[in-house]
Amino acid sequence: MNPRAILLNAYVYAVLIFILAPIVVILPMAFSEPDYLTFPPEGFTFGWFGEFFGNSRWMKATGFSLKIALLTAVTTSVVGTMATYALMRGAGRLGTLFQGMLIAPIVVPHIALAVALYLFFKQTGLSSTVFGYVLAHSVIAMPFVVFTVAAALSSVDPTLEDAAMSCGASRFDAFRLVTLPLVLPNVLSGGLFAFILSFDEPVISFFLAGIRDKTLPRMMFDDIEQNLTPIIPAIAVLLTGISVFVLLAAALLRHAAASRTASSPDG
Amino acid sequence: MTGSRGAEISIRGLEKSFGLLKAVDNVSIDIPSGEFLALLGPSGSGKSTVLMMLAGFEVPTGGAVLIDGTDCTRLPPQKRNIGMVFQHYSLFPHMTVADNVAFPLKMRGMGRAERRRRAGEALEVVRLGGYGDRMPSQLSGGQRQRVALARAIVYEPRLLLMDEPLSALDKNLREEMQLEIKRLHSELGITVVFVTHDQGEALTMADRIAILRGGRIQQMSPARELYERPANLFAAGFIGEMNMIPAAWDGSAMMLCQSDRVTPPPGAFVTTPANGRATLAIRPERVQVGAAEAPGSVGATLAEVVYAGAGTLVIARLDDGTELRARVPSAGLPRLSPGERIGLTLPPDALLVYAEESAA
Repeated sequence: MNPRAILLNAYVYAVLIFILAPIVVILPMAFSEPDYLTFPPEGFTFGWFGEFFGNSRWMKATGFSLKIALLTAVTTSVVGTMATYALMRGAGRLGTLFQGMLIAPIVVPHIALAVALYLFFKQTGLSSTVFGYVLAHSVIAMPFVVFTVAAALSSVDPTLEDAAMSCGASRFDAFRLVTLPLVLPNVLSGGLFAFILSFDEPVISFFLAGIRDKTLPRMMFDDIEQNLTPIIPAIAVLLTGISVFVLLAAALLRHAAASRTASSPDG
Repeated sequence: MTGSRGAEISIRGLEKSFGLLKAVDNVSIDIPSGEFLALLGPSGSGKSTVLMMLAGFEVPTGGAVLIDGTDCTRLPPQKRNIGMVFQHYSLFPHMTVADNVAFPLKMRGMGRAERRRRAGEALEVVRLGGYGDRMPSQLSGGQRQRVALARAIVYEPRLLLMDEPLSALDKNLREEMQLEIKRLHSELGITVVFVTHDQGEALTMADRIAILRGGRIQQMSPARELYERPANLFAAGFIGEMNMIPAAWDGSAMMLCQSDRVTPPPGAFVTTPANGRATLAIRPERVQVGAAEAPGSVGATLAEVVYAGAGTLVIARLDDGTELRARVPSAGLPRLSPGERIGLTLPPDALLVYAEESAA
């Protein structure tokens, strides 16, 4: 291996360590016995997980978060796929503007978006409603769905739909039976991203939360302010686990899609 | 699959503008049932746009398309019952070969068993029986195009459209597929409209060829007539090789540069020139090479001799620099060297006269 390759490897590992170190530090703290945060952890217990699953307030917040994340995933998958299709296959002049608006939430600081949504939702009565949460989370998750679906759609030949229509399919059937199956793995993986983004989204939830319904991240903030027990790292462990699982699932989906259109006898 | 007769197409004054650009300009074609028509032209000539309007993917800005007497100008593609083969096959990559071929039947609400049987039959027709369970990605380019063909004919359409279907294939495969498509055409009696930029392909396959340029039809004739009597200089230059010699017409003879007089027979006049500049055209294989000063020949200087086995290409220049090519049998050709003076004989029955001046 030449010196440049070694340097590059070292650099890559340094970046990885920098990114992963905080997660690696927090994980063992979830199994620490004292009811305050310590590092290195003292003793070993699963008790904080039990505490989390046994507490109705935590469970209610988790349920609420799951509900919003699920609805956000469904909304962004459907709307995002439709929008991406329109952007890439449509001929409208407003395409660029529309694309900019869809992707803007990536560059706009979430805090700015949160304040704006807070003021707007207060006027319209959407604050702390499920619909409001889903709307807000969909806005920030939409770019990720658009990007993943666009990646798949760009590799699907538009004349396939023409071919389907020349075979007698309506425009919608051509999309449903030909284009959609080809981009579906990416639609699902975009949806999974949206799920994760919504599930542990803290900033907007902080502004939108009411007294009764709080999302899990919002509850965690409250807990950090008031108690700061190892229940927080325990939840962090669970969230990390879910994220890793979802990312793996997304990767597998795209891998399956790639091999389906590439080779193998029975697809 | 016999008994399905071809559709009768009438294209009337078809126009298509994209902004200021007129891609198709007043194109009228009547295609009798069962004809194989080739639309031939360089890229941007509007040939594909005409096809897309026939298929229903483009809406004309003027004119009409009649299929079997019914006005289909604004009918969407899925309602036209037309078979179509695309340039890049356009097979559905996530479906098996059999499902691809059965797709049009499924769209027509046919039951599963019947679909399966008919798809199998169509695959037999294109000689791909037994390939039904494969995925398109496991087939070669030629096989994929044959699947596309099977998919286009499986519901026995009366009209088959092909958009440069062979251009993605290599030469040997292309020739094989040309014959295959010809065979299918005569077997099924289906009307075929075939778009190509390959003149050889058009000459080989089509009953009739329409040459397009700039959205307009330049000429529409059977292959032989197209080659032997092009309607204008564009058609003359586009199909095969053609010598075009600038000449002056004085009312009785064509004067070439060095005051050689050529008197074409009356039949040579494709368009009748007024006195003045005109063009004398002749195919290279009709030009005869002889000794300089041979009676009735045109004097020229030999520029190059390209031996190619059975035939030899002789490139000569007239005194004003006009290049003239002759393709002559190699056997019996005297030894020639560049720079030598030779005589070129232009047989009267091979001459064509155009009123226009050639650009060259």
